[in-house]
Amino acid sequence: MQGFALYPFDPPGDIAALRADLRSWLAANQPQDDVVFRANCWASFDPDFSRALGAAGYVGMTLPARYGGGDRHPLERYVVIEELLAAGAPVGAHWIADRQTGPLILRYGSEEQRQRYLPGIARGELYACIGLSEPGAGSDLAAVRTTARETAEGWRINGQKIWTTGAHFSHIMLTLVRTEEGSERNAGLSQLLIDLDTPGITIRPIIDMAGHHDFNEVFFDDVLVPLGALVGERGQGWKQVTAELGLERSGPERYLSSHALLVALIDAAGPHPDPALATLIGELTAEMWTLRQLSMSTAAKLAAGEDPMVEASVVKELGNAFEQDMPRRVQAIVTSGWDDENDLAKLLRALLIASPSFSLRGGTREVIRGIIARGLGLR
Amino acid sequence: MSAARNMLCDTARAVFAEAAMVGIAPVGEAGFGLLLVPEAEGGFGGDWGDVNAVLQIAGVVVPDLPVAELIAGETLQPAATVSLMAGAMGQALALSIDHVNTRQQFGRPLGKFQAVQQSLAVMACEVRAVEAAAAALAARLDAVGLDAAAADFEIAAAKLRANRAVGVVTAIAHQVHGAIGFTEEYDLHRVTVPLMRWRGAHGNDAFWAARLGRQVAALGGRGLWETMTARGA
Ligand SMILES: Cc1cc2nc3c(=O)[nH]c(=O)nc-3n(C[C@H](O)[C@H](O)[C@H](O)COP(=O)(O)OP(=O)(O)OC[C@H]3O[C@@H](n4cnc5c(N)ncnc54)[C@H](O)[C@@H]3O)c2cc1C
Repeated sequence: MQGFALYPFDPPGDIAALRADLRSWLAANQPQDDVVFRANCWASFDPDFSRALGAAGYVGMTLPARYGGGDRHPLERYVVIEELLAAGAPVGAHWIADRQTGPLILRYGSEEQRQRYLPGIARGELYACIGLSEPGAGSDLAAVRTTARETAEGWRINGQKIWTTGAHFSHIMLTLVRTEEGSERNAGLSQLLIDLDTPGITIRPIIDMAGHHDFNEVFFDDVLVPLGALVGERGQGWKQVTAELGLERSGPERYLSSHALLVALIDAAGPHPDPALATLIGELTAEMWTLRQLSMSTAAKLAAGEDPMVEASVVKELGNAFEQDMPRRVQAIVTSGWDDENDLAKLLRALLIASPSFSLRGGTREVIRGIIARGLGLR
Repeated sequence: MSAARNMLCDTARAVFAEAAMVGIAPVGEAGFGLLLVPEAEGGFGGDWGDVNAVLQIAGVVVPDLPVAELIAGETLQPAATVSLMAGAMGQALALSIDHVNTRQQFGRPLGKFQAVQQSLAVMACEVRAVEAAAAALAARLDAVGLDAAAADFEIAAAKLRANRAVGVVTAIAHQVHGAIGFTEEYDLHRVTVPLMRWRGAHGNDAFWAARLGRQVAALGGRGLWETMTARGA
């Protein structure tokens, strides 16, 4: 990874107009709910908002028009996503379907799967979850044990997934399963697209330390799905999942999901902040500006068809560190009671509690650093 | 990189290597002082992207010679320093990778130990961040015709980000090198000591943080995002 240069972020079309249109749409349509809903807003579930956003053409933007998509360039979508996150819009319901499941179905799915799922995704009505982790397979994802056996009637699935974000409101789960009997590690894995209303599936909530119900455990007990549920190539699940994780790591959500706190800090500081506050605002701004450059460059590289695995990991690592650091540093200098009810105090509390998860989901800090080290030629 | 810029970099490497032994004279004679001067005025008509590339090389090969002062005026020295720092950090990383892949302890190259790998990953992230900051600053300066006042936000953000990377980069580079990196003979200090110096030159952390912080406070919370997106991409 020597000789790094920024990849030019050069979306087609009138980007200033795209931003302006979306900003005025948000002014009219973003719900005025509690400010904590704006922090970590890619976890904020609001299906009415998702549907309205879909109707306005801001979901499934890069999908082809024949599947209900917007036929837009990936970097136009990037601009829309960063605007939504910076505004703290509640994009949690459709987030995973829009970001990764839709593109993955388009890339690897059958024509039948595309016609069946993509239009709903683009309308902001069909939601998806990611079935990777299992009790025995966390960082060591190749230890997946959930099995799918091919039978005359279809795939018969047995096993368990865990930490599945949004399984309780999702319609489909893209599931990593072992299809080849006796296979080990990353061989013999495949991806199945499973309708979550299929008999034999049990979804149980796991309440997180903030008291929220975001993730779940999901049990498969002799679940039968059609053979057509296979996504892509049988036995190529590992390769497909790795590609999917690339989409997941470098997006603007890695540094913008706590933006509401920075906004509240600046507003609370007023136009003439004391030196300590000015210094903190300056440092956070410099970090955020730099992260934006890195994230845009990585997005541009992805859009050009390259595979910036290492750069994407750099964005995640630095973004996670920034977002975990921010609430701690704000707390260190702002006088604010833990239970205070002003915007700044509420955001601070919510993000201090949410922040440990940032360097766990989507690959832990140690795993991400390992990927970077491999890119440096050390492994 | 364009072919023209590649050629410029090749020239810079050759000329700076000579200057490292005899002093600044060859740099002036090769015309680097005219890099930013328009062609119509007898210069090379280069842009800040060129300056960024050249100064990254200068930051490695001739960190103690006034190459930045030869190329750019006073108001652009903070921006020039960011490029010098990006170059020196890239070199500190390259030396570190090379060292841990060669030096063996416990029967293995150091780079096979996870603790060492994780440290170098942290360092690489900082280096990438500074390289990105230098490149984005160059894009802004070129978009505003090298008007430092019109790039005040980016100069402040980039110099501050570069300053803040110095501690992590120099500390990890020296840690993975062990005692050899602490010697006069070995090349590491030729980039780490200049990095320590540049952190305090043309505005230390406190200077740029307070300045950027006051600028952002005047914009207001939402204004920060609107301003940032209006200024680039
Ligand atoms: C909020 C949240 C949402 C999530 N959503 C989803 C989801 O939607 N779908 C899904 O499939 N999963 C999801 N996950 C799970 C997530 O992917 C896992 O938590 C993650 O992969 C780590 O696995 P683990 O929790 O079992 O931790 P472990 O793998 O047990 O790791 C614990 C610690 O040990 C470290 N460690 C492990 N192995 C090594 C090693 N070889 N070297 C060095 N250190 C190591 C880890 O880095 C970590 O710090 C979610 C997690 C969270 C917190």
